[in-house]
Amino acid sequence: MALSKSNKSSSIFNKKRSSNATGALPASAASYLSALSEADASARKRNVSPTSTPALSLSSSITSSSEDTILHEPEYLRDPLLASNKDGLLLPARPPTSEQVFNTVHTEFGHCADERYRTTSQHKLGTPLAPHVEQDPPYYILLSTYISYLILIVLGHVRDFIGKRLNPKRYKHLMPGGGYAPLNSDFDSFYTRRLKTRMDECFSQPVTGVAGRTILLLDRYSPDYNHTQILTGTRTRALNISSYNYLGFAQARGPCADAVEESIKRYGISSLGARLDAGTTDLHVVSEALVAKFVGMEDALISSMGFATNSTYIPALVGKGCLVISDEFNHASIRFGVRISGAHVRMFRHNDMRALEALLKEVISQGQPKTHRPWKKILVIVEGLYSMEGTLVNLPAIMELKKKYKFYLYVDEAHSIGALGPHGRGVADYFGVNPREIDLLMGTFTKSFGAAGGYIAGSKALIDVLRVHGHSGAYAEAMAPPVLTQVVSSMASIMGLQVAAGDTTTTGNGNGIVEEQVYHHPGPAPINSIPSWVHLPPALASGQEGSSRLRRLAFNARYLHNGLIKLGFITYGHPSSPIVPLLLFNPGKMNMFHRLMKERKTPIVVVVVAYPATPLVTSRVRFCVSAAHTKEDVDCVLKACVEVGDVLDLRHGIPVRERWSLEEVVERAVELGTME
Amino acid sequence: MNTTSATLAPVFTFLEHTLTTAQTTFNKLPGSAVIQRYVKSSHQNDPGRTLLELILVIFAIRTLLQSRTRADRNGKNFIQFSEKEIDELVDEWIPEPLGNALTANEQSDLASAPIISGPNGPKPKLAATGKNALNLASYNFTGLAGNEHIKQRAIDTLRKYGLGSCGPPGFYGTLDVHMDLENDIADFLGTEAAILYSQGFSTISSVIPAFCKRGDIIVADRAVNFAIQKGIQISRSTIRWFDHNDLNSLEEVLIGIEKERKKRRGPMTRRFIVTEGIFQKDGAMVDLPKLIELKYKYKYRLILDESYSFGSVGRTGRGLTELYNVPASKVDMLLGSCAIGLASAGGFCAGSRTVVDHQRINGPSFVFSASMPALLAVSASEGINILRNTPSIFETLQDNVRAARAILDRVDCITIPSHPASPIIHIYVRQPQSHQYLQYPAPISASSSSSSAKHHHSHHVSAKDAVRDAEYEVEERLLQEVVEETLSHGVIVTRAKRLKGQEIVEPRPSIRLTLTSGLTKKETEKAVNVLKTVLVKVLSKRR
Repeated sequence: MALSKSNKSSSIFNKKRSSNATGALPASAASYLSALSEADASARKRNVSPTSTPALSLSSSITSSSEDTILHEPEYLRDPLLASNKDGLLLPARPPTSEQVFNTVHTEFGHCADERYRTTSQHKLGTPLAPHVEQDPPYYILLSTYISYLILIVLGHVRDFIGKRLNPKRYKHLMPGGGYAPLNSDFDSFYTRRLKTRMDECFSQPVTGVAGRTILLLDRYSPDYNHTQILTGTRTRALNISSYNYLGFAQARGPCADAVEESIKRYGISSLGARLDAGTTDLHVVSEALVAKFVGMEDALISSMGFATNSTYIPALVGKGCLVISDEFNHASIRFGVRISGAHVRMFRHNDMRALEALLKEVISQGQPKTHRPWKKILVIVEGLYSMEGTLVNLPAIMELKKKYKFYLYVDEAHSIGALGPHGRGVADYFGVNPREIDLLMGTFTKSFGAAGGYIAGSKALIDVLRVHGHSGAYAEAMAPPVLTQVVSSMASIMGLQVAAGDTTTTGNGNGIVEEQVYHHPGPAPINSIPSWVHLPPALASGQEGSSRLRRLAFNARYLHNGLIKLGFITYGHPSSPIVPLLLFNPGKMNMFHRLMKERKTPIVVVVVAYPATPLVTSRVRFCVSAAHTKEDVDCVLKACVEVGDVLDLRHGIPVRERWSLEEVVERAVELGTME
Repeated sequence: MNTTSATLAPVFTFLEHTLTTAQTTFNKLPGSAVIQRYVKSSHQNDPGRTLLELILVIFAIRTLLQSRTRADRNGKNFIQFSEKEIDELVDEWIPEPLGNALTANEQSDLASAPIISGPNGPKPKLAATGKNALNLASYNFTGLAGNEHIKQRAIDTLRKYGLGSCGPPGFYGTLDVHMDLENDIADFLGTEAAILYSQGFSTISSVIPAFCKRGDIIVADRAVNFAIQKGIQISRSTIRWFDHNDLNSLEEVLIGIEKERKKRRGPMTRRFIVTEGIFQKDGAMVDLPKLIELKYKYKYRLILDESYSFGSVGRTGRGLTELYNVPASKVDMLLGSCAIGLASAGGFCAGSRTVVDHQRINGPSFVFSASMPALLAVSASEGINILRNTPSIFETLQDNVRAARAILDRVDCITIPSHPASPIIHIYVRQPQSHQYLQYPAPISASSSSSSAKHHHSHHVSAKDAVRDAEYEVEERLLQEVVEETLSHGVIVTRAKRLKGQEIVEPRPSIRLTLTSGLTKKETEKAVNVLKTVLVKVLSKRR
C-alpha cells in the first residue's frame, strides 16, 4: 500500500493507462503530489487543534488544485455538507505521513498503512478444525424471545380478525373475489404482513454510489407503519459493514475501474446472446482460463448470475437415480438446482461430519428407496463459508470421507473465494487441500471481486459437459464484457502477474519447506493470461496490493470476531470468517439495533436477519468485514456494539470476569487479530 | 430367610432415604404440588389413564430428542445390516462418472460455436478467421449494441457506482438506478410497477414459483421455452398443456378444468395461463386479444413471457401489447428481458403493484441473488429512452424482416413456422414425405396430472420416439452443415440450441435467424441470400 515518494516516475499516478493515453500525465502527477502535501498539512493542522479549526475537506483541497488526480472525488462529495467530515468517515483517523501515498479514495477503500494490522488467513496444517460451539444465552432471553413471537402472532391474528370485519377494503387483495383466488392468501402472507412489515425499515434500504468502505443511503421515512416508504431526497453517508465487498474491489476509481472503462470502449455493454449462440467473445475465453488458473482447476465456466450458476448447472450433473447429500444450511440456489434436477436429496446436520458419515453408510448400503438398487452416483454439496453462520466447512474431514465413500464433491465457494486462504483461493487454499481432489468448485464474483455472476470449475471433460448440458449455455445470456473485465483485473491483481518467463519469486510463502502432501497454489499468472489492453500498475501487477488486501481482510475479520467475543457478545462462526454474526435473539431488538447503529454520530449500516433465514430464536446481525475497512473502522464498530449492546442487553457471552474492556480490546488489537 | 432380610436391610434403608430426599426435593420445586395433586386425582379416577399419560410423555421426549435430519430407519423398506456388511457394500459400490462424456456430435457442436474477437454486434470479427461477418445469430433486434451514447453513460455510471452492487436487493443492493430502471420499464409499458431481475433467463423460472404453489393450476402452451418449463416444474402446481399456439385447444382445456372443478366441488385455487409472446422455439406469435378475452372469460391470470417480443415488435418496441394495441395492464405478469430487448442484461416482470411487491419477498432469484451492476441498469434505461424516441429503429427492423421473408418464403426445401412479423425466423427442413408426426406431439414424460392414463400407452410411443430422434439427428447434422458452410461465406447463423433429453417436448431442429436493425436492408438481403444458396445446395444433396 504505502509507496515511497521516490516512485514519482512510475505510472501509479496515471488515472488512465490505456494504450492511447497521451501527454499531460507528469503534470497531473506533480499536481497530485502538491495537492497531497497540501492535504497532508491541513490534516496535520486539524489534528493539532481539532476543536478550533473548522473541519477541512481533503477532497475539496485537492480538487481545487487539480482536476485529474486519482484522489479526485465523485461530484456529490463536493457537497460542503457531506464533505465536512463531521461523521468521521471522509478522512482517515490518522493523517498520512509524507512517506505514505494512497492510491485509493478513503470512502471507498480505507487508508491503513500500519503493517501490524495484517494477518494471514491459513489453517494450521495437521490440526483438526475446532468444532463450532453454539453458545446458549440465559434462559430468560430464550423465554422472552418465544413470548415475543407469541405476542406478535396473537396480536397479528387479532388485528386480522378485527380488520377483516371493520376494514374489509384493506384485505381485498387477500380474499377471493370476482371468481379469482387471491394471489397471496392471508394465511401464507401472515408472517410477511404481521412480522416482517414491522421491521421493514431494516430491509431494502435504497443506496447510491459505491458499496465500498462507506455507502450513501437515500434517506426515507414511512408515514403509515412501513406500508409505504417515501424518499426524503437527502442522503446519509454511513460506514458499510454489510456489503459483500471482502477484498474491497467495489471501487469507482483505480486500475480495475480504468480497465472496465477501457473494456466498455472496446467491447460495448453486452455480448448479445447465449454462449453457444454466438455470445462468446475472446474475453470470455481469456477470463475462463484465468479463473481456472486462479482456483487451481483444469477448466472453468462463467455464468452471468451467481444464483443461476447453481440452479442451472446442478441439474446437468445429477438426475433420476442419483443422490444429492446437502448440508442443511445450503443456499437457496443449491436447493433450487437440486429440486429441478430430479435427484433424490438427503440432508445432514450442519457441518456434522459424524452425521454425514452415518448417512453415507446408510444410503450406500440401502441403495435407492424401495428398489434398493445402488445409487448411480452420490454428490455431496457443501458451502465453503456459510453465509448466515460464518462457519467453515470441515474440508479435511470431508476429503477423508470422500476417499472412503467415493462420492463426488461440489463446494460452493460463493463467500469463501477470495476471502479465505493465504492466496485468497478459498477453502481449499485455507486448509491446504489440493483443489484437484475436489470434483467441482463453484463460486461467485459478486463478493470478493466487486463484479457479478459466478463460475464453476473442474476437469476439462466435466466442464465441457456443463457447457453443453447446462441450461445456461444454450439459453441464458452470456456475461457482459465490463463485468468480465472487472473479474479479470481484480483476479489478476490478487494473483500477481509474472513479468518475465521463469520468474516465480514474487509471491508464494517463501519458507522454503516443501512438503509433498501440501498443495501449492500456482503463483503469479503469466502476463499473457490477461488481455493486452488491461494495464495494471506495478503495485497490483506484482501481487503486492492483492496480498495486502488479503491480509487486511484476515486481520479485520479476526479482530472484529475476537473483539466481540472478548467484549462478551455471543457470536457464531469461525474467527477467520469475514462474516461475523452477532446474536440478538429477541425480534424487537433487531429493529432497535439497526436504528441505534444507523443514528449514531458515525452512522453504521448493518444487516439483521431473522426467521426464515435463521432458526426462529437465533435472530442475528451479520457483519461483513472488508479489506477496505481500517482498524479504526473496526474500533468504531466495536465501540458502537458495546454502547448499543448495553442498551439492548446483548452481552451474554463469556463470563464477566473474563471480559475485556473496550479500551483493552482496542489497545490489544494486534493480539486479537492473530488469535485463533 | 431372616439372614437375607438382615443383609438387605441397609439396602432398604438406603432406598427409603433416597426416596424421601427425592420427594422433598421434588416438593421444593415450584408447582410440584399441582402436579402431585393432578397425578393423584387422575390416578384415583382411572389408573389406566396414568399409564397412558406416562407413555405419552415418554413419546414426546423421544420425539423431541430425535435429530431433525434423522435417518429414515423406520421405513418398511429399511434393511438391517451389520457393520461388516455395510463396509462391504461401501467397498463394492462403484459410482457412475459425474458427467457422461460428450458424444462426437456434441463435441463438434461445442467446438463450432463461433468466438467473436472484440465487440459483438451486427458485423463482428471472428476470432478463428480474423474476418468480419454479418451476424444473424445474436440478439440485437434494436441495434443498440455498440451505441456510443449508451457506452458514455455506462462509463459515467462506472465512475460513480463502481461495478458490482455487492449485495442482494434486500441488503443494501437496491441502488437508485435500479429503481429508476424499474420505473422506466413500468412507464414505458404502461403498468403500475416493475421488478428487475439480474438475469433474463432466471426471471420467469423465479416468477412462476413466486405465485404458483402446490394445488394451483397452470395451463401452458406445449412449446414454451425452457426457462418456463423449469419454472413450472419447480412450482409443483398442477399442469395442463394446450396445443402449441392453438387458442381453441386452450379454450377446450379451460372448459375441461372448469367441468372437473364443478364435479369435484373443490375449493377455488389460483389459475394461470402461461405462454410466450413470440415463441423462442419457433418464432410463432400468440394472438394476444383472443388470449386476453379467454383469460377474462374463464377467470385466469396471464403470465406472458415477452422475452423475445419486448424490444422487437410494436411501433416503439413495447412488444405484443403495442402491436395489438392492448393495454399492458391487462396482462397480469408481463415479463421481458433487458438482455435481449435492450442489449444490456437482466430481466423484468411488470404488473400491478401487488404483483410486483409480492415478488420482492417471494421471488427466489430476486431475493437470493445480488442485484445487477449499476452500469448495466443505466444502459437498459438509456436503451428505453432511445426506443421511445426513435421509432425508425423498428421500421428498419420490419423492412429487414420483410426482405428476409421475401427471399426465404420462396425456398421450397424448407418450411418456416415463424410469424411473418417476427424478427426471429426459424427454418425447418421440409419433410420429404407427408408429416409423420405432429410438430409438437403430446408430452410423454410430462408431469401431467393424468400421467397414470398416459403411462399406459407409453410403450408403443417410445418406438415412435426412437424413430423421431433418429430423424431429428439427421436433420440436425444437415442444418449444422448449413450453419458451418454459411459461416465460411461470412454470415453467422446458428442452429436453435436445445437441451436434448431435458425438454418436455423435443423441439424440431431448426436454424434460427435473429434479424437486427443494425444491418441495412441490403446487407440483410445479402446475408439471407448467402444462407439461401447454402440451404439449397446442402439440402438438395440429401435427396
